[in-house]
Amino acid sequence: MPALDWQGVLTGQPVQWILSGFLTTLWVTLAGIVIASGFAMLFLLLRTAGGKTGNAVVSVWVSLFRNTPLLVQLLFWYFAAWNGLPLVLREYINADHTWSILPGDVWWFTPEFLCSAWGLGVFTSAFLIEEIESGLQAVSRGQRQAALAQGFSSWQLFRFILLPQGLAHAWQPVVGQYLNLMKLSSLASGIGFAELTYQVRQIESYNAHALEAFTVGTVLYLLTGVLMGLLLGKLGPSPAKRIRRAPKTTIHTGSENA
Amino acid sequence: MIAGLAVITDNLDYLLWGRMSAGQPGGVLLTLLMALGAAVLALPAGIALASLAWRFPGTVRKVLYIWAEVIRGIPLIFVIFWMWYLLPLLTGGDLPGAVTVTLALAWFTAAAVMHSVLAGLRALPTGQYEAALTQGFGTQQTLWLILLPQVLRTILPSLLGIFISLLKDTSLAFIVNVPELTTVAGQVNNRVQIYPAAIFIFTGVVYYLLCCSLEQIAKRWRVTRPAF
Amino acid sequence: MLSDLFSRSAARAADFSHLEHASVEFRNVIKRYGDHQVLNGINFTVAPGEVVAILGPSGSGKSTLIRLINQLESLNGGEILIDNKPTRTLTGTALRQLRSRVGFVFQQFNLYAHLNAGQNISLALEKVHGWTPQQAQERALALLEKVGMVEKAHHYPAELSGGQQQRVAIARALASSPQIILFDEPTSALDPETIGEVLQVMKSLAHSGITMIVVTHEMQFAREIADRVVFIDGGEILETAPPEQFFQHPEHPRTRRFLQKVLNPLHQEQP
Repeated sequence: MPALDWQGVLTGQPVQWILSGFLTTLWVTLAGIVIASGFAMLFLLLRTAGGKTGNAVVSVWVSLFRNTPLLVQLLFWYFAAWNGLPLVLREYINADHTWSILPGDVWWFTPEFLCSAWGLGVFTSAFLIEEIESGLQAVSRGQRQAALAQGFSSWQLFRFILLPQGLAHAWQPVVGQYLNLMKLSSLASGIGFAELTYQVRQIESYNAHALEAFTVGTVLYLLTGVLMGLLLGKLGPSPAKRIRRAPKTTIHTGSENA
Repeated sequence: MIAGLAVITDNLDYLLWGRMSAGQPGGVLLTLLMALGAAVLALPAGIALASLAWRFPGTVRKVLYIWAEVIRGIPLIFVIFWMWYLLPLLTGGDLPGAVTVTLALAWFTAAAVMHSVLAGLRALPTGQYEAALTQGFGTQQTLWLILLPQVLRTILPSLLGIFISLLKDTSLAFIVNVPELTTVAGQVNNRVQIYPAAIFIFTGVVYYLLCCSLEQIAKRWRVTRPAF
Repeated sequence: MLSDLFSRSAARAADFSHLEHASVEFRNVIKRYGDHQVLNGINFTVAPGEVVAILGPSGSGKSTLIRLINQLESLNGGEILIDNKPTRTLTGTALRQLRSRVGFVFQQFNLYAHLNAGQNISLALEKVHGWTPQQAQERALALLEKVGMVEKAHHYPAELSGGQQQRVAIARALASSPQIILFDEPTSALDPETIGEVLQVMKSLAHSGITMIVVTHEMQFAREIADRVVFIDGGEILETAPPEQFFQHPEHPRTRRFLQKVLNPLHQEQP
């Protein structure tokens, strides 16, 4: 076992890089969560209110983003879709803007940040839609029928009976997806986005302290995951009673799914 | 548009099987090899670990749970990094990149398989275990002959989902420059520069087809299996 | 293990009759779940070949009573003797041997879902007792014949009705030729029209030399087939008597109240 030199990664340039990368990861995670949740809500609405075409659109969206690797999606957004944007817009984003700096010295109005946040957001939205739908479906048919028998409209049924309970059931898996987004942000290093994983590799090529740098990175990801999980768990709704959810027929478990 | 397609057809053999003729499989071929290799390793490993956790509640189970939580609590890319640096230290030699990535994927996937098998064991009615006890089966026999055969059948859709994820996760080899499909597509893009859309859409389509056909097989399995 | 070899060769010839005296004796048996005392010092004996029906309200401890016999639950106090030998400290191979002398039929049948009816019976014969597949299969078919299920030998549990599954379960319990057989509310989970076929099988088993202990709500069975009826309530045996005496002249007030509720549910005296 080679001797480990922690000073080499916890002082000077390396620690600056680590901090910068860590904060970048946190910011892009937040941005991704916002985008993912927004799209999930939009598509859920589209599915319930949009009739057959709405349903089809959502199914295609979900199928597309679930069956292709996130990395390929990021590469597409960064190399291909980016070029589809008007030149004026591209130059505008590429230029430095004073309002583009987030606390912690993180530039958000850059191609890398925007593509990463967007890519992570749309990818995760496909999974969020399924999780929330499962949660909604777990609300028993009996309750739906009781509500309709009492004269509730479809919208009222959704708003007062299904959604509160559905979200409570789905909250744990939703948090799982958010945590996953945080971990998957590591893939954005592949398009040159300077988040934590990128910086860890930077240190490795700077002073060859690979094991020390990886350890710090590992610990940071683990801690962030645990803290995020606790925080979000507390913030969210919890089911009134432990109800067993209907098991999903295909449970995707891997690096890209919670 | 046609020029974009030409990029694909010109490089099709490289995208599909890399430098196979030079003895270096790549592209889609390498993707499939790595996914299958990892699956072949992870499935028995995951089942074995789940059996251990089930049989020895207490410290062994806790340790295994913690191990699984740590593995799944860090980005998969970090598992690959760790393997990349630790394996040469352990084996003293240089392993081909594809082998290292496959081992990392297997390690990660074993945790998911263990999770799934344990969930399946917990979901079995306790009566099955009790009936085996009353007939005099030992713990090992009960697991092998009575419980696992039923569990593996019920978690088959879940296992297939794990495999589909595994297939997508092979794309992470891009980060360490192992020439599976995503890496190779990136290389072509770097060389050609002007048709990124065609290249990455093609790549996406290939993964999409692979994953979707597996899902179709899963659906057909669920229909033909006897209801339990 | 050497003893396994002996038991395998003995198996082919005899019927696991290692119990000289298929009796069950409870001595001051105590069972607790946390703070809740389920059995409060049970004393009773079942003679070899006897058929005993155990009745009682739910929560009285009757299921726990028989589950203690083959150690699906463990004792907190007292002792259970089978063949006049204490069983509390049995573990490992000895415990497994005892279990194969004592058959158990569950309320929920608990057939192995991934095996067909014949395999449910032959599996233990092959894997626990070392029989050859052919012998095991022959025995399985013979037992299925005995319970009237031989045409369904290749059917899976999911394809059988509740009564059919329970009959297969009884055949499975008989596979190792046990000398004691325990029934834990065998008909409680069945549709009314299938109860009869299971009771018929149990009737044919009774008084064939096998010791039977049956926890049941089926009063007709208790009245007509049992040698003795035991009434348990609140973790204690309150009354034990032959059926005519038990049903015509119950002594204990709680017994009388129970019989009132069960035999005449619409006309109970107010508690």
